[in-house]
Amino acid sequence: MKKLTVSFLKRGLMAAAGGPLILAVIYACLAAAGKVTAMDPLKVCTEIITVTVMAFIAAGVGVVYSVEKLPMLHATLIHAAALYADYLLIYLFNEWIPRSARGIGVFTLIYVCGYAVIWLFVLFSIKMRIRRLNRCLKEEKA
Amino acid sequence: MKFRLIIDPTGEEEIIARVQDRSALTDQIEALVLRHAGTDSIAAYTEDDTRMLPFADIECITVIDGKTYAIDTHNQRYRLKRRLYELEEELPGCFIRINKSALANEKRLERFTASFNGAVDAVFQCGYTEYVSRRCFARIRRRFEK
Repeated sequence: MKKLTVSFLKRGLMAAAGGPLILAVIYACLAAAGKVTAMDPLKVCTEIITVTVMAFIAAGVGVVYSVEKLPMLHATLIHAAALYADYLLIYLFNEWIPRSARGIGVFTLIYVCGYAVIWLFVLFSIKMRIRRLNRCLKEEKA
Repeated sequence: MKFRLIIDPTGEEEIIARVQDRSALTDQIEALVLRHAGTDSIAAYTEDDTRMLPFADIECITVIDGKTYAIDTHNQRYRLKRRLYELEEELPGCFIRINKSALANEKRLERFTASFNGAVDAVFQCGYTEYVSRRCFARIRRRFEK
């Protein structure tokens, strides 16, 4: 448990620096598109801190895949649920999505579809590796 | 390839092969030495019987409820009175770790399969199936794909 906690913290700290960087890129794009011209400094500070926390949790929660006892699907579901809660709460807090059932519904739909696509890629990659391995196994026996 | 024979009446007898990689030749030499030394089999127990089970007849060794079992080529289960880590040291190199509680005889592996939940299983020629941990799978891939 201690090893997992340390791993969670290490991953989170490494990724935490990326959060504000991504926020800066997003605001640069919004400014270039003329969507944002002036911002409240308190809002900027809040967003930098929340994005750092979001990146920390999002990276740290990946530690669930290093638990050998957990089947891949269970690890993926735990990872997906933790990431969903992380993103949703921060997005709602910063008002990046409307605080309404529709806003949450659209976010959820996009998130689930995105995650399903990623999971299918992962599964496909595993199957390709298995196929290659079985081919090597057959060649060695021949 | 060179052959060197050192005769020392006072020393302990051992065969050392210095090679760049494992091959069919090294496996044959290993099997020959183990057969000669009489250490190419292990005592295996069922409820009514005891027999010496040759390594070549073992498809998988697994731990169930804290007890070590060998699965043979007929999918029969035999109890072994040894711990897995002890067996791992004694068994020939064709026995590979596939998860924390199992060793597989790679010569008796039929294929690997993947299920929808991402789990990988090793299927043996006798039909027995054992799961492969993610850590061991990476190592097995490197071993077979080089």
